[in-house]
Amino acid sequence: MESIVLVVMLFWPLLAALVVLLFGGSDRAVKTSSILMSLVPLALSVYLLWGYDFEAGGIQFQVRAEWIPQINASFRLGVDGLSIPLVFLTALLSTLSLYYSAGVIRHRVKEYFFLFHLLEMSMLGVFVALDYVLFYIFWEISLVPMYFLIGIWGSDNRDYAAVKFFIYTLVGSVAMLLAILAIFFATGTFDILDAAAAQPFSQQLTIASLVFWGLFLGFAFKVPSFPFHTWLPDAHTEAPTAGSVILAGVLLKLGAYGLLRIMLPTLPHAAVFWAPWLVALGAIAIVYGAFVCVAQSDLKRLIAYSSVSHMGYVVLGIGAAAAVMTPEALADLANVFSLSPEALQDSAAMAINGATLQMFNHGIITGALFFLVGILYERAHTRDLFRFGGLSARTPYYYGLMMVAAFASLGLPGLAGFWAEFFTFRGAFAIVPAWAAFGTLGIIITAVYFLYRIIQNVFLGEYDPAKIEHWTTVDGQPAEGPTDVVGFEKLTLWPLVAAMLLIGIYPTPLVEYFNQSALELLNFVSTLS
Amino acid sequence: MNALGLLLPELILLVGALLVFLLDVAYDTDRESGASYGLVSGLFLVVAFLAAFFQMSLEPQQAFMMDIDAFAAFIKMTVFAGMALVALAGGRYMNRRTYNQGEFWTFFLIVSLAMSILAGANNLVLIYITIELLSITSYMLAAFFRDELRSAEAGMKYFLYGSVASAVMLYGLSFIYGAVGSLDLREVAGFFVQPDLTEELRVAMIPATLLALAGFAFKASLAPFYQWAPDTYEGSPTPVTTYLSTASKAAAFAVMARFFVVGLSALDVEWVPILAGLSILTMTMGNLAALRQNNVKRLLAYSSVAHAGYILMGLVAVAANAASGMDGLNGVLLYLFAYLFTNVGAFVSLMAVEETTGSVEMEAFQGLIHRAPWLAGMFTLFLLSLAGIPATGGFLGKFFVFGAAVQHQYYWLVAIALVNAGIAAFYYLRIIRTMYFGSQEDAGSRLELPLGMQATLLICTLATLWIGLYPPQVLDWVNTASQQILTAVLF
Amino acid sequence: MPTLPVPTFTQVVFVLIAAFTVISGLGVVVARNLFHSALLLAATFFGVAGLYVMLEAEFLAVTQILIYVGAVATLITFAIMLTRGAMHGETNPLNRQWGKAALFAFLFLVGLLGYLGGIPWPAPFQAIQADEGLIARLGEQLVTRYMVSLEVMGLLLMVALVGAILLARDDKP
Repeated sequence: MESIVLVVMLFWPLLAALVVLLFGGSDRAVKTSSILMSLVPLALSVYLLWGYDFEAGGIQFQVRAEWIPQINASFRLGVDGLSIPLVFLTALLSTLSLYYSAGVIRHRVKEYFFLFHLLEMSMLGVFVALDYVLFYIFWEISLVPMYFLIGIWGSDNRDYAAVKFFIYTLVGSVAMLLAILAIFFATGTFDILDAAAAQPFSQQLTIASLVFWGLFLGFAFKVPSFPFHTWLPDAHTEAPTAGSVILAGVLLKLGAYGLLRIMLPTLPHAAVFWAPWLVALGAIAIVYGAFVCVAQSDLKRLIAYSSVSHMGYVVLGIGAAAAVMTPEALADLANVFSLSPEALQDSAAMAINGATLQMFNHGIITGALFFLVGILYERAHTRDLFRFGGLSARTPYYYGLMMVAAFASLGLPGLAGFWAEFFTFRGAFAIVPAWAAFGTLGIIITAVYFLYRIIQNVFLGEYDPAKIEHWTTVDGQPAEGPTDVVGFEKLTLWPLVAAMLLIGIYPTPLVEYFNQSALELLNFVSTLS
Repeated sequence: MNALGLLLPELILLVGALLVFLLDVAYDTDRESGASYGLVSGLFLVVAFLAAFFQMSLEPQQAFMMDIDAFAAFIKMTVFAGMALVALAGGRYMNRRTYNQGEFWTFFLIVSLAMSILAGANNLVLIYITIELLSITSYMLAAFFRDELRSAEAGMKYFLYGSVASAVMLYGLSFIYGAVGSLDLREVAGFFVQPDLTEELRVAMIPATLLALAGFAFKASLAPFYQWAPDTYEGSPTPVTTYLSTASKAAAFAVMARFFVVGLSALDVEWVPILAGLSILTMTMGNLAALRQNNVKRLLAYSSVAHAGYILMGLVAVAANAASGMDGLNGVLLYLFAYLFTNVGAFVSLMAVEETTGSVEMEAFQGLIHRAPWLAGMFTLFLLSLAGIPATGGFLGKFFVFGAAVQHQYYWLVAIALVNAGIAAFYYLRIIRTMYFGSQEDAGSRLELPLGMQATLLICTLATLWIGLYPPQVLDWVNTASQQILTAVLF
Repeated sequence: MPTLPVPTFTQVVFVLIAAFTVISGLGVVVARNLFHSALLLAATFFGVAGLYVMLEAEFLAVTQILIYVGAVATLITFAIMLTRGAMHGETNPLNRQWGKAALFAFLFLVGLLGYLGGIPWPAPFQAIQADEGLIARLGEQLVTRYMVSLEVMGLLLMVALVGAILLARDDKP
């Protein structure tokens, strides 16, 4: 039982995709069976959360089978404290997206659900694969369904956005592939953990840096870290609602996951050397992304840029932790700040926890925000901020949901976003104070764009019927004015809102998973000579 | 084993070719007979494939100036698989377009025979004659629709380029003979490793090698000898294009591998940079030209030029004792094998659209997903494989070739290949986009595919996925094949 | 001042035969009348046979004359005479690119000559002893070691023949 969980969870969506493709008769049958089948990975991911043994720690639920013996690539799956919450996030958002899509997707239904299941499989695969070849295969496959989702069901400029998304991430991934190959030739294995244990290139900083940047390019395009983010606003804006949700909620996390799972443990020396760059890129992304948001008039594009800003926290946190990845660097830095190495290590753990928590929260919060934007777009058929106004009175339910998501996103204490920002900055201040201080600027600007741009423009003020002529209901029927959220939309959003509140009030259970893997990572690198 | 038994695949094909020829003489020419000739040819190719498969497990030996080893057997398997698939898919296509079925399928089997001999030839004279047989037969096949201007142009261009290239190659080979005094590749190799070889003579052989390379480069459509390829590929009957861009390329790379890796192993310091340069030039020129094409057949033609560049990367990064099992020669063989199924699939998809709409322009693919969903799906898989997206055979080929280059620390070569992969994805996506992103209304009527094409497409799809997802068996073949070549090298 | 070496008789004869071969070969390409080209081709074959004689390969020379001059060239001549229009038609073998092509060919020639002059060819190989058994051995080699090559040649000829008919005939069944 233990060992088969991951295999079933990973390939179940593939089975669902085939079922949809081969037996999908009516659109209704496709939708129902898709939603029902997507509950299985969700249930299994809850089982993983529940079944993870904190006492034992490390990688659990392992599966290992021979795959391509000629190049030492094996079929190895496993999860630890870092990947389990992300697996859960993936399964949760996939189910919600499928459920929401069932309500709004009306043409080419079979293709849509087929591709969505494939997408879910590839995302789960990245989080559970412990072999570079396997990891890379899932990593790259995730491009293909997303490309189609944007290109077929996207809005006006979808063609351009889809190609841009595909090519940018492909170039990044191929650079990563070369780095993976270099690691393989240095260690003789494609096993992610064994390769990290072998510590390739620890004595050759030049090659290590090349490999580091190869990997970073792959991950940074996905995160996306400034300045590799230019594909993101287009892709997010043009994608269909559920596509944006998955893109922001899960696909961006793949990059950050790669940084933590592969880059830091495998190349700690290079990570220490380049940590200032990571920190700077992260801090710049926070501030830059927030400033760009203020200038947006397109609601969806605004949320997209807010992702650039919020993923900046993740890079900042990881970068700060990267600065103390070797015992020498830790000792040096402890001298500079006249702190004990243990205290500094605590800060590093804090920074990693902040980053990982931010990954999870951003998935929940931005997922919700994209759903909310989609809900509005289905009715108004425009995303132009200046054409709305006064919606708070007409759609109070919608207003309430949006308020929670927006406040969670800008880091209001009591909601999920707060803890992530708090941990990240608390950790980063001890290690890279100047950049962390610069980064906090982003928090203020975030408040500005959420409150001023979204709440003010869309919900407050006077409702002017002349601005938008053809309101419709969610079913596409003409309507007099804006209509409030309906049942299936509420049901889509409630789990996310509940998670925001729950994590905001009591984050400990979630942090335990992340903290477990953060401590394991720091322990691992502290034993290196 | 009897010496003639070693020639079993070739004998089977010879019998097949003559049988089809005689059948055609014996019966009245009938327009409908083409499909059955195609099937007969396919059957002989399958039997020849089995014979080649059997040869994989033989001890390496030599007969009639040919090496009968796993390397040759693997190339033969690749070639025969491709030719059999083309025969299966192309029967009806040729039926509809020409009367001379008997001649076509006879030539088709003779071309297969020529490639089969080329896979094992270890003597320069045999290499030369066989390349001539392959070329001359191919000229005929390219120009087979002689009433169509494009087909005639295809044959003519191919012929003119080809005859110049083989003349130049013969010239180069004669210099090598002049220096070495033998045409046998092993003796050539031995000549260059002898200790009292003067430096002048060694250096003097480089231009001779370059002249010889012209002939090989022409067959493999490498820059700067690729200009014939787009016109010929576009104008030729699509089944001919299919094998020219796959099986024929495999044979050309096989003979190049033998010539350079076995024959001139001692001169690798000199030829490695040359081939690396050609590789960069080929992939870049091919990809840049493909970007601008609006005719899908021509686009695939340029893309197949670019792929020759990637394959050449593997030849550049050959090492005698690679520890990792990810050697350049493995990469070449794996790439050829995977590329064969992918590209045959892509061209057969094209042929299917050509059959039903009469056009190979980009517009003919508009909304294909609505008219023929399975065809569009499989074509997408082939295009993704060509673009090197994982879970397909094309990815594994690139993985090995890039890996070999990284292992040899040819970082600049890999970097350029990387940029090229990005460019290539762009134009493959263009086709995919055209097939999917249109609306349902203006798509047109559904397409019905002939059974032969459906079967071919299915086989190609399964093979592409098989190589991409579970390759240990193929890697075993590839390893055995390349090891036998590498143990023959005298370093 | 170095004295020019006096050419031996053999060298003089070689230069004469070679010049004859090259000039008639050039004539094949540039002649405006197809029939003249065919005749010049026969002359080229003769010249090559002459070179074989000088290399003491008498058997090859005789074969060359028998097959190429006797059969191939004759066949071509007949084919031209039997084809309507080909006897009297004038064609212009030059196109707009001929200047560039000639320049490139000339440069290629100069390069090759420089290259060939620079090669330190190894000592000549052991001469083949011409005796009674030579031709017999040649024949034996052709059906043993060179068997596949010979067969390939045969196939090549067959393909060329069938293909030529196929491409040239103008009737449709």
